[in-house]
Amino acid sequence: MHSILAVDDSASMRQMVSFTLKNAGFHVVEAVDGQDAWEKASSRDFSLVLTDQNMPRMDGISLTRRLREDPKFKSTPILILTTESGDQMKQAGRAAGATGWLVKPFDPAKLVEVIGKVIR
Amino acid sequence: MTCTDDADPPAVRLPLPAAAELQDDLLVASCDLERLQRLLADASGDLIGHFHAATDELQALLRVASDREDPAELHRVLAQVTGAITAMQFQDMASQLISHTSHRLRVCADRLAREAMGDDDDEQALPDAPPLRPNPVSQHEMDAGSIELF
Repeated sequence: MHSILAVDDSASMRQMVSFTLKNAGFHVVEAVDGQDAWEKASSRDFSLVLTDQNMPRMDGISLTRRLREDPKFKSTPILILTTESGDQMKQAGRAAGATGWLVKPFDPAKLVEVIGKVIR
Repeated sequence: MTCTDDADPPAVRLPLPAAAELQDDLLVASCDLERLQRLLADASGDLIGHFHAATDELQALLRVASDREDPAELHRVLAQVTGAITAMQFQDMASQLISHTSHRLRVCADRLAREAMGDDDDEQALPDAPPLRPNPVSQHEMDAGSIELF
């Protein structure tokens, strides 16, 4: 079973994402911000990381950059799910190594479909 | 008559009582927004709790029903309930919007205090607020957002 690291500082968003991904057959580990995600990622592997952008302690783009520096996450898909839709921010995500940019709110079926496309 | 003068308008200093009143109003509005944020978080928590309870019940019914009958009707009900997930993300977006607006009001209140009252020699001057970044929420409705793969 694929394991997904879902990162968001909003409890309600984590619940919605987890519900959607668990229903689609994924195992989900939740993290409350980038720092928490980084700590969880350093002790285990994930098939995909789905992260928010604006979070305390460490944002999604910084998390992406740090994960990409770790050989373990060199080719792991990283999707950023955020309210931010500006081109400048998207390009920063791309430059950091993100696989894709999803603007909130998400549609459950589309989220599962895009994860199916990028997950290995 | 049109105004074509590009020069800076002359500085107008508000009377101190008016500035203080304005500052109070801004801070009250900011506190009200923070209260609204707590109300939304509380309502959203309840809503999500009931959502999970309803979907758990439906999934339990589906497991029982699938042994002896066609559960198409239950699948339709479950699809209707889970169809609310997109709209149920309102709390996260509203919370970011409220935080940003509340911060903006507080920055305005601080600036007003600095401009109207000046720096008090006996007290440490208020530090300059960092520049406000654009509001992170630009959505006007709860339609699903765009997806871009790089």
